[in-house]
Amino acid sequence: MQKGILITLPKFDLATEYLTYYSKSLIEKAKSENLKLKEIHERELDMNTFSKIISNLDYKFIIFNGHGSQDSFFGYKNEILVKVGKNENLLKERIIYARSCDSGAVLGIKCTENSKQGCFIGYNRPFVFYMDENWTSNPNNDKVANLFLYPSNLIPLSIIKGNSTGQANENSKKQILKNIKRIWRDKSRQETFHIIEGLWNNYIGQVLHGNEKVCL
Amino acid sequence: MNQKSPPQEEINEEMKKLVIARIDANLPSNLRLSIGAKETLSKGEMINHVRVGDEQGRQIIEMHLNFMRALTSGDFVKQLNSV
Repeated sequence: MQKGILITLPKFDLATEYLTYYSKSLIEKAKSENLKLKEIHERELDMNTFSKIISNLDYKFIIFNGHGSQDSFFGYKNEILVKVGKNENLLKERIIYARSCDSGAVLGIKCTENSKQGCFIGYNRPFVFYMDENWTSNPNNDKVANLFLYPSNLIPLSIIKGNSTGQANENSKKQILKNIKRIWRDKSRQETFHIIEGLWNNYIGQVLHGNEKVCL
Repeated sequence: MNQKSPPQEEINEEMKKLVIARIDANLPSNLRLSIGAKETLSKGEMINHVRVGDEQGRQIIEMHLNFMRALTSGDFVKQLNSV
């Protein structure tokens, strides 16, 4: 496996626009570390095209942004990219971070079964985030979304910096708790409990399957 | 590190009323929620999904209930104190 990153960037609704926006800093970091990088955009994100790309590029680390289900990752306009029983073997022996709902429940387990160097980090329940409608055209200024998406970014950022998958998972989960603490202190804000509930949801849903000692 | 997928629980009318009341009272109308593999939801749409009890409504209810359970069991405070 080559020390490289493959990242999916679907962008067809508000949620995927935010995930794609938040992936910019990951791409910049990967470039600054001189890592090989393949961005997969919109119309390349269907099962056939994606399978061909991944078969031809043995990059170690794959970052999935987008919607998902227990047994699948989705691409552009929710085309199925990876599905258990069809092409999950393409993910074997790689490091996977899936910023998508539910895929830690089944797909994450299946793609790391009998694997020595493979690791999956994702969510076994819906990955949620709130966004501020006033900033949807400029997510950089959306402080509400940042509370959710910065801790999720810490998983790939930590891995790119050379941390093990287990450390990356821990760094992210600690950051979620730190964000909860910060918000908790300001109970005067109307939305405090809703934001904490969402962060807690991601905290308890974030799972690691496979080898937690593996590095990029 | 491995965890089992959370079991789905039965949602009753009392749970729906509780969650709707909390959203209605405290969620600012400028916030939208991304949850599940569908479009993001406004405050009004969240309430509608909870009322109907469809997939997104169930996900919202479970998010609220999981937090309240963690609060009452002490797990929430325990985890917060770990950082």
